[in-house]
Amino acid sequence: MSRFIIRRLAMMLLVLFLISVITFLLFAAIPNGNPALRLAGRNSTAAEVHQIEVLYGFNKPIYVQYGRMMKNIFTGQATSYVQGFNVLDQIKHDLPATLSLAIGAGIIWMTASIIVGTLAAIRAGRHTDRVLTVLSMIGVSFPPFFLGAIFIYFLGYKASLFPVGGYVSFTTSPSQWLSHMILPWITLSVLFIGFYSRVLRSTILDTINEDFVRTATAKGLSYNQVLRRHILRNSLIPIIALFGLDMGQVIGGGAILTETVYNLHGVGQLFAQAIGLLDNVTVLVCSMLIAFTVVLLSAFTDIYYAVLDPRIRLGT
Amino acid sequence: MATTTSETGSQFSTDLPAALVHEGEEVAAGTGPWRLAWRRLRRNKTALFFGGVFVVIVVLCLLAPVYSHDVAHIGPATQNITGSNLNTCPPTCVGPTDIPVGPSWNISKYFLGADSLGRDVAVRLLYGGRNSLEIGAVATIITMLLAMILGIAAGFLGGVADNIINLILDVTWAFPVVLLGIVLGTLIATSGIGPLHSTTLMSTALIIGVVYFPYVAKPIRAQVLSLRQREFVDAARQQGLGNVRIMFGEILPNLASTIVVFIPLILANAILLEAALTYLGAGVQPPNASWGTMLSDGISTIPAAFHNVLAPGIMLVLTVLSINIFGDGLRDALDPRSKVRIAH
Amino acid sequence: MRKYNRSLWAVMAVFAAFALAACGSSSSSPTSATSATTPSSSAAPAKSGGSVTFLYGVAPQSMDPGMDYTTQGAEINWVVYTGLTTYAHANGTAGTKVIPGLCTALPTVTDGGKTYTCTLRKGLVFSNGQPVVASDFTYTLERAIKIPWGGSGEFMTPVVAGATAYSNGKASTISGVTTDNATGQITIHLTAPYGPFDNVLAFPALGLIPPGTPFKNEPTNPPPGVGPYKVTNIVPNTSFTAVPNPYWAKMDIPGIPAAKVTVNAKISSNIDANALSVLNNSADFFDWADVIPGSLLPQIKSQASSRFKLVDLGGTTYYIFLNSQHKPFNNLDAREAVVTGLNQQAMNRLGSGTLIPACFFLPPYVPGHPTGASCPYNNSSFTGNIAKAQALVKASGMEGYPVTVWSETRSPRQQWMTYYTQFLNQIGFKATQKVIADANYFTTLGDLKLHPQTGFADWNMDFPNPVDFYGVLLDGNSILPTNNENFGETNDPYVNSQVAKLSAVPTADLNSVAGEWQSLDKYVAQKAYVAVFGYETFPFFASDRINYGATVFQPEYGWDWTSFSLK
Repeated sequence: MSRFIIRRLAMMLLVLFLISVITFLLFAAIPNGNPALRLAGRNSTAAEVHQIEVLYGFNKPIYVQYGRMMKNIFTGQATSYVQGFNVLDQIKHDLPATLSLAIGAGIIWMTASIIVGTLAAIRAGRHTDRVLTVLSMIGVSFPPFFLGAIFIYFLGYKASLFPVGGYVSFTTSPSQWLSHMILPWITLSVLFIGFYSRVLRSTILDTINEDFVRTATAKGLSYNQVLRRHILRNSLIPIIALFGLDMGQVIGGGAILTETVYNLHGVGQLFAQAIGLLDNVTVLVCSMLIAFTVVLLSAFTDIYYAVLDPRIRLGT
Repeated sequence: MATTTSETGSQFSTDLPAALVHEGEEVAAGTGPWRLAWRRLRRNKTALFFGGVFVVIVVLCLLAPVYSHDVAHIGPATQNITGSNLNTCPPTCVGPTDIPVGPSWNISKYFLGADSLGRDVAVRLLYGGRNSLEIGAVATIITMLLAMILGIAAGFLGGVADNIINLILDVTWAFPVVLLGIVLGTLIATSGIGPLHSTTLMSTALIIGVVYFPYVAKPIRAQVLSLRQREFVDAARQQGLGNVRIMFGEILPNLASTIVVFIPLILANAILLEAALTYLGAGVQPPNASWGTMLSDGISTIPAAFHNVLAPGIMLVLTVLSINIFGDGLRDALDPRSKVRIAH
Repeated sequence: MRKYNRSLWAVMAVFAAFALAACGSSSSSPTSATSATTPSSSAAPAKSGGSVTFLYGVAPQSMDPGMDYTTQGAEINWVVYTGLTTYAHANGTAGTKVIPGLCTALPTVTDGGKTYTCTLRKGLVFSNGQPVVASDFTYTLERAIKIPWGGSGEFMTPVVAGATAYSNGKASTISGVTTDNATGQITIHLTAPYGPFDNVLAFPALGLIPPGTPFKNEPTNPPPGVGPYKVTNIVPNTSFTAVPNPYWAKMDIPGIPAAKVTVNAKISSNIDANALSVLNNSADFFDWADVIPGSLLPQIKSQASSRFKLVDLGGTTYYIFLNSQHKPFNNLDAREAVVTGLNQQAMNRLGSGTLIPACFFLPPYVPGHPTGASCPYNNSSFTGNIAKAQALVKASGMEGYPVTVWSETRSPRQQWMTYYTQFLNQIGFKATQKVIADANYFTTLGDLKLHPQTGFADWNMDFPNPVDFYGVLLDGNSILPTNNENFGETNDPYVNSQVAKLSAVPTADLNSVAGEWQSLDKYVAQKAYVAVFGYETFPFFASDRINYGATVFQPEYGWDWTSFSLK
């Protein structure tokens, strides 16, 4: 077991390294992306551009620059050339908004998914199931920026029920924090509810066929007891794994669209803006952050499954 | 009743309807799983309905040139800000402050209105649909091919190959796709990469295809891992078949239902991802039209010209919804658990 | 970033030049802060105190004046960091005037325009209480050159004697600047007469800062300055707060009013949402450099007419460059076809009606703009003549020639270029559009190897001196291998020689050569080296809490934050 864990973690480090290298090289490949040109300002002479290159070390070989960049990042000193701030400080500042979004939306979508999925499974094939299918599929089919724009305009501006985007931290004002987060939570959850409820539904239907369910009912347990104690507990395994993966993505800054539309100034929006500005340092740090959370949680998922199912750990 | 497995004598079995409990059906021994699946699918009216909707949308989009030439007499890129075009909106297609004209409900003249450059929304919707569907289809093909080849290879060959492929899967899965989109877009616009000189549609399709393949490759790999222990593989080996023949001749056909189930899922997500990338500036570039470009252009005109965003939005959601519901029905139909087990 | 650099400096420059030209050489009485040449609606007596919210759609490049070169940054930095000179806090042309800042009077110019001398006021302190001395100017200049500030390469290093050696590291200080802390006198020697130097001194980058400030960009912890406001609570890319400087009133500098309100500035990239917020009064100010979405304009104009205005700041030209060294636009007929046929009214519609159609390269507030002259090729309604354009293309022999149109991503610039591409196709070319990410657009075009044929460009004045336009954008001698701004590779011997001759003329004598500049501008229009499609106007939009009548739309900086007050 421990060998398995060690191997997964080693894999994780390798993945992070590769992602950092690829991102770094991608920026080197952008034509006319030389940051020295932009830093030197208008009408700068070649000499001035060269001065800047020396100052920031852009004239060194690529692997030296890479090494320097990595060192800066891990010592917390990575500073963006384009936007001027310390990237890690900026991420720390933006994290609460992203966490608020992730955790709130996560609770909503899990709860809703469990309710919808269970209901659809119990009434499988019937009218309720079909209606719930269509409804949850609608959620999955909506691009979040579209939904967000509609919400902001109609609910935020026209009806003035909610603020027009933005983020207020919980410590400043809990009620304001809540009113700013409700629409983003709904927008993000709608995406996942459809998918999760479908997975839960099919897992429940699979579980219903299992022998142990038949045994439980034969033993005389009530419908509800069997549902809760045996069926749900087993059916929740896959979606908990999925939840871990998706949460990891959102926390690392994967909810780019939702954060941008609602102007939450979270890590995702920081990432999107940095890409638009071709800010290579910030993009590098953010890429590694997302990769880190995704890979970490993916490794945990694998370990979680291995713990639950011995066949997997023996097979790999 | 005798032929069903899901009868447990409890409340659960009676809750399972005909579509999933295959009672009352004379199932001849030897009926293949595909026919059974098809029968199950046929009973799922909702899935069939939405499958039909999707087919209708595809046909409409393919007929874009017909609509453009014969009905509306205007192309997707023809601008009409000043109304000097033959097909004049009254009096111009774009008002003095950038507000486009709304739907005219006249099938031959700006049926769904004009966008901010005076272009016909209905014509653009169909042409854009062609592009979006094309990108989705190409991306899906790329994903499935990559996933099949790498997933089967990883699961079957094991060892070093498996480790390397797993690494590739993890890196691809964790890589931020928006970044790739923007960098590739910039590169192609300025200097081009090989054959991708100005066909930005293909570059977007390529990116999306590559992004999704780990999602399919992992389950394929898992399935191959269990399949490879089965007897028919040993039998094939004893026959002297090489690895490649076994992988693609014996194992691949067994993955068919898994693959078929994934296709609509990937197609739907590819279309959505194209819209998202375009919104962030990393996808389709003008003047190519796609539902993504129409949506992102239209979003800023929501207060004054909601039709700009409603038309592509509804089409996009409807298309993706249809694919999703049909795909879901397909999954239900192919689910091995609800396969008829003949009592013996 | 290029656009914002230009707009800021452009505006400033215009005013500075006007100020100098109008007032001749030295003494000019300081204008009082509230005087305006265009009296707007009656200003209620300003109430002090309270706080307002200001929404930026784009973040300032940096809160450090030694680094920032954007309109967003200059807007706040000019009232935090005052230089030896500054601009009048007034609307319209009155605001273009250069007035003394930290000097007691405008610098005396001697030695044929090569020496500037002024004396620092007594009793000046920074916003942390530290006293200001004359040598702080030298330190500030050195820092701006070393960081380097984006405009230093053009306006400081080659202009001030000894600055080039300092910049290269060959000298440890700038030999051309001498100061005397006892008397407060500052003397600056230039390499050659440079008319707009008073304007250069007014840049926030030369707003005095304490010695010892590190020679690097300090966006989160900028140095204290001498100005009506001071900035605190900086969260990069997110927000900052500008509070009235407690030491300001004591120093009693005429011409620069004190701050009245605290400003909470927020960066919010969803510009549509920003406009909505100001419209429903949940925020107070919309940044003038952002574009009001066209679909909201009618609503704003009807619901908020008392607090919304589109103002022409007189210094911005939007144009399409035409590469005269490569096909097809190396042919005069081909260029003429573009100018003749382009429908500027249509382009304006795409830009929500904020453009003023035009044909001359120099915008209205720059001396040298041909006032009252008629355009050589455009029809009077600026709607373009397609038939004539098509005939011209045929005559040029360039029919069917492939053209690549370069474009930025953001709207309305992308839409303008999409329309232009279709127009080129209509008149007989084979045009395709290429869109480049905004962050990279000008650096991409600036790579000479690309030889871009045509595309979008804009320019905001740094000074109200035509050298700023011609010397950088149309002079054959200013074509650079990278970071080039003369995208059309214009290399006309007549233009080159005129520019060389006329740039030597000091700003004080600008009026005497204004006629020659006008002739040059008309010549350029005749040669159709560029296709101008408008001068830009900007939105000034505030909530109804604000005493709108009292706000000043400063021509260089946009909103004058010292004029903000609550009703």
